[in-house]
This record gives sequence, structure tokens and C-alpha cells, in this order.
Amino acid sequence: MSDLIEIKGFTNATLGWKAWLDVVSLDSATAEQIAVLEESHPKAKVSDYYLFLVHQPEVLKQRSVAFNAIMYAPGGMPRAERELGATVVSRLNGCVYCASVHAQRFEQLAKRTDAVIEVFNDPHTAGPSERERAIVQFSIALTSAPDAVSPADIQALKDVGLTELEILDLMHSVAIFAWANRLMLNLGEPVFP
Amino acid sequence: MTNAQQTDTIDRLVGLSPTLNTYSVRHQRDKVVAATQKSEEGLFDPTLPGLTLAERLLVALLACTLTPSVTCAAEYRNRLLALGTDHALIDTVSTGAFNQLTDARLRSILTFTHTLITDPVKADKAALQALPKAGLSTPEVVTLAQLIAFVSYQVRVVAGLKAMKLLEQQA
Repeated sequence: MSDLIEIKGFTNATLGWKAWLDVVSLDSATAEQIAVLEESHPKAKVSDYYLFLVHQPEVLKQRSVAFNAIMYAPGGMPRAERELGATVVSRLNGCVYCASVHAQRFEQLAKRTDAVIEVFNDPHTAGPSERERAIVQFSIALTSAPDAVSPADIQALKDVGLTELEILDLMHSVAIFAWANRLMLNLGEPVFP
Repeated sequence: MTNAQQTDTIDRLVGLSPTLNTYSVRHQRDKVVAATQKSEEGLFDPTLPGLTLAERLLVALLACTLTPSVTCAAEYRNRLLALGTDHALIDTVSTGAFNQLTDARLRSILTFTHTLITDPVKADKAALQALPKAGLSTPEVVTLAQLIAFVSYQVRVVAGLKAMKLLEQQA
């Protein structure tokens, strides 16, 4: 296991999550709800998060298809970099739970924690390499003021070697965490070990 | 213009047509394109029980106004006008003056929207529990949260693709 990181309220520890309102009980779930849980996440049936969102199964289903296609699709941006984008957005939005999950995924994929430590300390200066700094800067820009994102911001990513498909993958990763953070932060809370 | 393109909201809002390179790049991730469009159609399905379509469009309008996203705010405003929603109500929401609304249910829905868009970390347990107190069922709360979160995603995809398209056109 990796070394424990605890910086400014953020951590790479494995956290739980509990919903603030009633979740769907598996005993009373419809066949549709069970099917959506099964295709959303391997542990969805024991997760408060999925059991809460499955109150609206069709919406959860499409969210899960989008999320999995954005974070796991082959080709394009390396998955570690998608996780870096997700971690930056979660740090900015203050989503401790999402930040912990995606900090762990970054480490599993990149085999290092330097970028995560820097993002937890101060996302605005984070990025161990020129390429990662550019990824972090773009993630901040698209999170904080989307309408102000300009062609120069895209060019800055191209200048450090990102392809257009990689840039698209980064936009999608940042955008899907604008979505994910607003569910995790606002429907329940992290449970610390 | 192809049929598929006319029905894809993000392609329409960004102004992407198959002759543009940005269109080709976006459609290399067609699973994402399709799930994004289906998410939107599900969240704004007129037959979805619970929150009315007008309530959902007002939430989207406020979310886009506060973000801000000029393009997406105009889109939801147009949809509200097409639905026949009262102009005064649309203006009240788009100027951020929703605290003046007499409809307590709508006021609490828009207050939650405001918090989630402007400072999501402040939308705490009390903010969420205010919704059932205003008469929303749990499935309605889920719809509302997913809707606000989806619009937060949509505005960023639109903004990123617009910048990519502009760069392509400058070349």
C-alpha cells in the first residue's frame, strides 16, 4: 500500500460515504434498478451513493455510461492524466471523497504520488512536469470560469505535446467531475476510517 | 446538415458540423456523445414524474446564468419561452432575483441550485434537507441534484469545444 497523504483536509486514504436521505433498499428495488446498479459499478449494490442515485435509474444509467467512457476508454489521454484532471477538479471544488478516490487511481496508474501531493498543497502551482503543469492549469481554467477558456488555453496544451484527442479527453474528465463532485459533496458525506 | 447533428445539442450549441476537424475529434468519443445527449433527454423528458419541465428548465437557466455560460443560458431561456413560461418568471430567475418568488417550493429548488453552482462545498446536509421540507420527494431531490450536476458538465464541454473550434478557425 502507498504512504498515507494528509494535506489541508485532503487524503489518499480509503474513505466511505453515506447518504443524507433514504437510499433504495435492494429488497424493494425494481428489475430496472437492479440492472442499472449492475452496469454502473462493481460495488454499486453495497454503495450508498449508487443506491441513492438509483431512485432515478435512467439518469444514473446514462451518467454511468458517460463516466465509464470518459475515464476508462482506450487510446487518447493516458488514464493517469485523466485521473490527475479529476483530482484537480475535486481539490478545487472541495470534494474530499472524490479527491481521495482519484488520488489513489493516479498513484496506481502513474506509480508515484508527487503530482497528488502538489495538487493537495496548492493546485495553482502544481505539476511535476511541464506537461502535467499544463494539464493542471487547463483543469483549473475549465472548472473556475468555463466561458473564459480561449483558443490560447487549447494552444498551451498543444505546445506541451497533447494531441487533440488527448485535449478532448481532458475536457471530458474535467467536465465529468464538475458533475460527480456535485453529487458526492451535496447528497452525503465521507466517512473516515 | 445531417439529421444526427441537428438532434445533438452540444454540436448545435458549439456550431460543429462534419466538415470541421473539432467535430471529427469530438466524435472519436461517440459513446460519450451519445450518453451526454441521452442524459440531457432523460433529465428534460416532459413525461419524467416529479419536477415539472418548467421547474427543470428554470434550474438549468439559473445554473447557466450563475456559472456563467452565455450560450447555454440562452438555450434554456429559449426552451422556456417555447414552453410558454411566463416572461416575468424567466426574467426573475435569469437576474438571480429568485428570492422574491412567492412559490416556496420553486424558491427552495433555486436556492439549492445557487449553492451547488457557486460554492458546492457549502451545499451541506442542512441545504439538502431543506428540500424534503419544501415538499420534494427523494426521487425529486435526486432529479434536481443530477440536473444541476449535468448542466455543470454540459457548460464545460460546450466551453472547451468552442475554444477548440475557434483555434481551428484561426489556423
